[in-house]
This record gives sequence, C-alpha cells and structure tokens, in this order.
Amino acid sequence: MNRMMKAFQLTVLTAVILLAGCNAGPAASPGQSDAAAELIYATAKDINDMNPHLYTGSIPAQGMVYESLVENTKDGIKPMLAESWDISPDGKTYTFHLRKGVAFHDGAPFNAEAVKQNIEAVQSNASKHAWIKLSTKIASVAALDEYTVQLALSEPYYPTLLELAMTRPYAFLSPNDFVGGGTKEGVTGYHGTGPYKLAEHITDRYAVFEANESYWGGAPKLKRITAKVLPAGETTLLALRKGEVNFVFTDDRGADSIDPEAMKQLADTGKYQIVRSEPMNTKMIVANSSKTGSPVQETAVREALWYAIDRETISKQLLNGTETPANALFPANVNYADIELKKRDFSLETAAAILDRAGWGSDKGGQVRTKAGSPLAMKLYYDANSPSQKAEAEFIQSTAGQVGIRLELLGEESSSIAQRRSSGDYELLFNQTWGLAYDPQSTIAGFTAESAYLYTTKGITGAAELYRKIEEVTVSSDENKRQALYADILRIVHDEAVFIPITNGTVAIVAPASLQGIAFKQTQYELPFERMYFE
Amino acid sequence: MAMGRYMLRRLLLSLPLLAAISFIAFMLNSLSPVDPAEVVLHAQGVPNATNELIAETKAALGMDQPLWQRYWNWIVSCSKLDFGSSYVTGKPVWSLLGPAFLHSLKLTLVSVAAIVALSIILGVLCAIREGRMLDQATRGIAFVLTSMPSYWLGAFMIWLFAVKLDLLPTSGMDSWRSYVLPVAVITISFAGIYFRMIRSAMLSQLHEDYALYGRACGLSESRIALHLLRNSLQAAIPVFGMAIPTLLGSTVVVENIFAWPGLGALSVKSIVSRDFPVIQAYVLVLAAAFVLFNTAADIANAALNPKLRKSV
Repeated sequence: MNRMMKAFQLTVLTAVILLAGCNAGPAASPGQSDAAAELIYATAKDINDMNPHLYTGSIPAQGMVYESLVENTKDGIKPMLAESWDISPDGKTYTFHLRKGVAFHDGAPFNAEAVKQNIEAVQSNASKHAWIKLSTKIASVAALDEYTVQLALSEPYYPTLLELAMTRPYAFLSPNDFVGGGTKEGVTGYHGTGPYKLAEHITDRYAVFEANESYWGGAPKLKRITAKVLPAGETTLLALRKGEVNFVFTDDRGADSIDPEAMKQLADTGKYQIVRSEPMNTKMIVANSSKTGSPVQETAVREALWYAIDRETISKQLLNGTETPANALFPANVNYADIELKKRDFSLETAAAILDRAGWGSDKGGQVRTKAGSPLAMKLYYDANSPSQKAEAEFIQSTAGQVGIRLELLGEESSSIAQRRSSGDYELLFNQTWGLAYDPQSTIAGFTAESAYLYTTKGITGAAELYRKIEEVTVSSDENKRQALYADILRIVHDEAVFIPITNGTVAIVAPASLQGIAFKQTQYELPFERMYFE
Repeated sequence: MAMGRYMLRRLLLSLPLLAAISFIAFMLNSLSPVDPAEVVLHAQGVPNATNELIAETKAALGMDQPLWQRYWNWIVSCSKLDFGSSYVTGKPVWSLLGPAFLHSLKLTLVSVAAIVALSIILGVLCAIREGRMLDQATRGIAFVLTSMPSYWLGAFMIWLFAVKLDLLPTSGMDSWRSYVLPVAVITISFAGIYFRMIRSAMLSQLHEDYALYGRACGLSESRIALHLLRNSLQAAIPVFGMAIPTLLGSTVVVENIFAWPGLGALSVKSIVSRDFPVIQAYVLVLAAAFVLFNTAADIANAALNPKLRKSV
C-alpha cells in the first residue's frame, strides 16, 4: 500500500508538471534582435537560386535585391530604373530614359548596354517565359546611347509597362554575373541594383541581406535583414516569442507561418503588431462551361451554385476572418475592376427558384434534382495540400445539397489540378486569380489560353465576343476604350457565372511593435523593407 | 574460417536486396499520375507551363526514353555517386544529400551515445533494485515519456527551456547548445525502450549459476554486477547497432521541429515539392544504411555467438 501511494504521488507530480506546459504564459522578453537596425524573418523555404531570370528563387528576397525599369503602384506606373519613357503613337516602340548614376552591387554601371544584355538574356530562354505575354511580343531591344534604350514590339501591347514592372523575369543583374553571355545556364553572382544585397547564404539555414549604402533611392534605415529557414507552426511561434525572429509575413503561396490565434497571442503581449493588406487576390470555384454532358454547362446551374455559397460563414468561421467575402472575380482595388455588377448574396430560395425555372425537378427535402433523367451532380476538385480548401468544399457541398445539387469532392495535388485545368478534364475546381501584380490583364489573358481558362470560358454563349474583346483590349492604346472593354469582359463572365468567387486573400505581417513604415506594394509577393525603420 | 565465410555470404546477400530496393524506389516515383515534366516545371516555380515548354523539358531530361532505360541510366550513375540533379534547384543531388546526411549523422551519433549511456545506467539500476520503488517509478515514467508524441514533447521542451527559462536556443544548429534539446527529445523517446532491454538482459543474467557461484565465493556485489553487465551487453550491442539507422530514419519529426538541416527536413521538403531525384536518392541511401548496419549487426552477433555462424 505504501509503495503504491508513493508511485501514485510520483505520477501525479509528473502529470502536474506536464500539464503546466499546456497553459503557456506570457513570453520572456525578446532577446537577440532588438538591435535597432535588424529584422529577422522566418520563412519555410530557403531563398534558393536567386537568378532573377528564373523562377526558383524566393520572390520577396529577389524583390529586395533586384529592380525593374518601372514600378506598379496604386496610382499607376511610376519610374524606377527608368526616369521617363516615350511610347510611339502606334504603340509598338517604347523608348526609356534611364536613371543616371546607378550602379550594380559589384560596382558595374547600370546603363543601356546592361539593360539590353539583360532583356536579351531573358528572351533567349523565351519558352520558359511564355506565361508572360510580353516575352512573345518583344521584337528587338537597342541601346541608342548610354542612357537610352528602345524596345520594339511586334504589335501594340498595352500591359507592356505592367509586365516590365513585375519582380521577374525582367529584373536587372550585373552583366559580370552572366555565364556564356546569358543567364539560362546559371549565374555566378547575385548583384542587382536594389536597396539590399545578399551578404551571406547557408542553404536551408539562413540568408543575410545588408543595406546597399550607395542605393540611388537613399540608403535604407534598416541595415540588416536575415531570412531564417524555420518550419511553419510551433517552431516559428516559439522563435517569435523568444525573439530569435521578429517578423513573419504571408508567403507567395498565400500561407501564413503561424495561425490567427497565435498571431493574436503575439499581438496581445504588446511586443508585436499585426498589419493586414488590402485584398490581394480572389479564391474562387472555376466552372467548366465546355464540359459536354454535364449540368455545369448550364448558366442557371452555375448561378444557382453561386447563390448557394455562404461566404460570410466561410470567411468568419472557417477562415477566422483572415479572408474577406468576395462577390466578383476582382475586388474593387484592382485596375479597371471598380464596376457595378449584379450582387448574388447567399440565398437558398433564389438558388432553388433559378433551378426550378431551368427545369430541374424540384427537390423533395434535399434530394438530388433531376432533368430528363440525369441528376444534378457534379465533381468538385480541390487542392489536397491546402489547409482550408477541404473544409470550404465540404461546407459548400452541404449548403448546395440543401437545394438539390449533389457535389462529389475530390482532393488532388496542385500539379494534378493544374493538369486538369489545362486539359479541360473537370467540371468544377478550386483556383485563384494571379494577384494584384497581374490582375486584371494576366488572369483575363488566361481566358484564351489552353493552359489556363480556355475550357472554362469556351462554352458560354458570348464566347466569341468575349475573345474578340480580349484581343482588342490588349492592343488598345486608348484608356477610355480599355475601361469600356474591360467592363464588358467582366460583365460577360460575371453574368455567365463561370468564375464563382468565394473570398479575397490578403497579406498579413506580424512585426515588432516599434517598427514603423510598414506598407505593402501593388503585389502580394514583395514587401518594401527599404521604407521600414525602428523608432 | 567459418566466420570469414559467413561475412562473405552476408555481404553478398545484401547486394540483391539493395538492387530490389533501388528498383522499388525508382518505380514508386513513376507511379505518380502527373506528367513528370509538369512536376519539374511546378517544382521550378514556372507560373504557367505551356505545352511546348513541357515537351522541351521532357526531351531535355530524357523523359521520353523507356522506363528500363531510365532506370539503368540512374543505377549506373548512382554507382558513381551521381544521383542526378534536383528538380527544384538544378544542383547535383549529392550536394544536398551529403551535408544533410552529415548533419543528421551528428545528431544521431550524439543521441545514440546518450541513449546507450542512459539505458545502461537505468537498466543496471533497475535490475539491481528490481521490484522496488526506483524500478517501478522509472518504468512508469519511462512508459509515459516514451508514449508521448515527439512533436509535442519537442514543442514543450522548447517552450520551457528556450522561451520561459531562456537557457537554450529554440532551433537551428549553431553551437553545442543547439544539440541539447533535440538530443534530449530523441533520447527520451527511445531510451525508454532500450533501457528495458538492458534491464531484462541483466535480470536473466542475475539468476544464472555463475552469479550464485560468485556470491558463494564472497565476491562483492559490484564485481558481480560488472560481470553481469558484460554478458548483457553482448546481447545488446547488435540492437544498439541497429539503433543508428533507425534513428537516422526517425529524425523527421525532431528535425522539423528544431529546424535541424538534416535528412529528415530534406525528405519532407523534397516530398512536398515533388523533387523526385532527391526522394529516390534519399530512399536508396537510407535503405543502404539499414542493410549495411543490419549486416554488420548480424556479423557482430555471429562473432559473439559461434552457433549463429552456420546459418545465413
């Protein structure tokens, strides 16, 4: 009896110690990184190969080291490495006047010859860049004098400046780093013109960026930025609480390193602040209007599905408010997208009425509707690796089931989903728009591309007109005409309900409370670290 | 002489085993329903893979060759320690696998040393004090600690020692201090199993005739215990030997929690990004390590116990 009591006491003591660990108290004071000029951020992926003309590198890191000719901002295109430019009346020739006195991190001068070499290096690997239409339109690039570059296109293409503004591939690397006169075989260094230069890099552990003291825009106040490779979740949260890292932000896949409760916990300690951006992209269900033999071909069915989605609940309950409900393909802050479109709120009655009018046999208390013998059943594909899509799909399946639509859910890998999209082998699938840097022109250009949304849009009644308008808008040089055309294009796909929006994604930053100047760019992939400083 | 023949036989047997494993590792990757060229482009981050680009990638990587040809090419290059190039970075696989293997090995060796030391100490103590408070308490605590999931244990220990008490770093592989927590988590998870083995080996030795004879001769308990330990260890050495490859393969969770840049972290990363060459090489290297240590353990066993030398 005595022994049993002692053993019991020991067990209880152990259990108490262990359970104490479940109730995590406030953090210890942040340690290493409160040196006024350093930021250490946690990232799940290593920065990888920082070749600006390929796609393996970390985009935010590339955004710090390299720059483009122009920058896309809320107020339109602004100068960056090019101070000014002229566009010929036929829209086929762009003449850039470069900024003087700019040098690459290794000292090489930034001039027209360097621009020409970089653009030609990108073009020599054209098939890799086929996704960016500009690469298929560039006919030649010439250096007219030391600071003037002329870009000749094969036909007018209004998004030229927008695509030149993207983080890659049209960013500039010192020609001394080229291999064999180009960059597709690799590069020997990562010297750009940006506010930060890569100082140290140990693969899969960390990368250190130091301020470029001779940056043309003025030396950044934040002198040192370290990217530490840490797996998302507990490890990142504990490192934040200890102060070993002091910054996290949403990555280029839209994933956060710590969940919303953890963010709130950190903010509550008073040592961190959370900053959220405007909507950056739209998560949606894409409906294949050209899928023969499927109910998804009918506009009424797609519209009914739209009405059967409870976006408020998805946003608040499933996603903890980290994404806001979306009612159109593009949010209002996207260029050309601030137009009036029919609002389709969550309403099961309207959905039922639409289906009744379309001849789908009325449901007897949640049973599947039928029409001419075939059931109203469709397959919905989602990304099995996404943390939220499965839950959203199941929720939509249950609400749609209440109006007699049967959805079969299938989770697959993202590359498998991409393959389905490019072959047209799907009825419904989860997808998202390209994002603020690329919308609306890249997503809309995708309406005609087989690898993107051709099958989605092919089956609608106004398809031919839609494609004609898309072709017109890319060559149009008249701003007003473009606005009218975009309004028409967006209205057509909105009325046909081929892109059923669910929520808008944002970029969330968790930063030290004393950090000022936190802002976002007109792209979800980069952050303007050069504007941030500790007070 | 029989020993030499036994060693030769075991070594030769391991070759077809390795061949079979390499084949399975290669085949498993080909079972993916997605076009491998698309997988490569996806891994490289290319935003949109057009059909021309896919065809180009296929030709460049030799994916249009028949399966047998590709397998043979891979095996031949593997024998030269050239495991191909990563889909994601384009760098040689060995440049990724080599350092990761070394880092994991460092962690594993330190952990094995700690496990052996702890197991022996606890095993001996518990065997000597069999049935008493120490024995029961140790077994109970070890049972609880071993059953705990290592990710929870790891997170708890980081919180306690790194955040709350601020004694150690939370993650990474920076100094000797970084070894403490990962080794502690691994040791706690495994020592609970191994110490019981030592304990039962000691207990069975305790009841042998020579122990009784030693006591009758008036030898001190500690000298008897030393003899018992030597005999128990003979049974334990092969098991500890197998612990090394077992731990090498089990460090996935610990490495991911502690951001340790080893094989575990590399394997998770390459699986998530579908980096097939790395995955294939990882499976092959780990399987080879298992086969090697298994063979060595068998040989060690046969060296200690002559009766085993006749069998294969």
